Amino acid sequence: MAISVLICDDSGFARKQMARALPDNWDVEISFACNGEEALQAIAEGKGEVVFLDLTMPVMDGIQTLTHIKENDLNAMVIVVSGDIQPEAQAQVTQLGALDFIQKPVSKAKSTEVLKRFGLL
Amino acid sequence: MNKVNVSISEDQRDCYQEIANIAMGQAAALLAKLLDVKVILPIPVVNLIEVNELRMALSGIEASDKVSGVCQGFIGNRISGEALLIFNDASLGDISQLLKYPDELDTSVELELLMDVANILIGACLRGIGSQLDVTFSQGHPVVLGQHVNLPELISTNHYRWSKTLAIEINYKIEGYNINCDLLLLFAEDAINVLNNKVNYLLED
Repeated sequence: MAISVLICDDSGFARKQMARALPDNWDVEISFACNGEEALQAIAEGKGEVVFLDLTMPVMDGIQTLTHIKENDLNAMVIVVSGDIQPEAQAQVTQLGALDFIQKPVSKAKSTEVLKRFGLL
Repeated sequence: MNKVNVSISEDQRDCYQEIANIAMGQAAALLAKLLDVKVILPIPVVNLIEVNELRMALSGIEASDKVSGVCQGFIGNRISGEALLIFNDASLGDISQLLKYPDELDTSVELELLMDVANILIGACLRGIGSQLDVTFSQGHPVVLGQHVNLPELISTNHYRWSKTLAIEINYKIEGYNINCDLLLLFAEDAINVLNNKVNYLLED
């Protein structure tokens, strides 16, 4: 069965870039969200088994979203994709339960490597 | 100079914003490492504006604030522009503390400090943007726009040959410190179509 993948980023260009960076022939059902609120909604609808989450977003940012996912023990494996590459940001998202942190711009090689490492591919 | 009609679409603006987002993150990481601080990243603001509206583009700084600023020209692959780094004067004490400057800040020490931070932030941002657009920018010498002046004075001392500019504003703050600085990247009017073409390439499927 296809894995549901959610791409959450306020930038349409970034969402598209992320979708293009997913491995070829990966059996997935892709959904999109523009902010954390939309992401939580999508996760509730079962559309986010794997979530690629940006950090800097209006309405509800990535850190708030991760906190909500962790506190409510939601069924979502989150990989943070961000331009904020400060070590502190990486440590914080890992602490909040994110599987990994990918630096933008994302490449197909990088996303493949991370997904393989967590047995998602 | 030939006048070309320039405009940017919503998709292009979004793409510039994302490119700026990645570049400012790289610059912030460098600054964070150097100063051993956490830089708070904003969402960059991208606008195609008239040069005479420039003051309004500086949303991160109040018009009544005393400011100091430097500018630095850049050029690469037919894309030229100017970077402006503007500090709220209230920030200078905290920055000198972080950079471990001597206690007494006189005008010349402040100038050195401005130049140091400007070189780091502007250089890293331009490299970040350049690497995404496949452009190598060369930077000119930084020039002081003014010290301890009102924002309008600082901006009006600058004269541009362009009537329109693609402006990217990034407002940096540092966690736990009273530091507020605005980095403004202004792309020349005749560079906008070149940039748009590059961005269109990225937007293609």
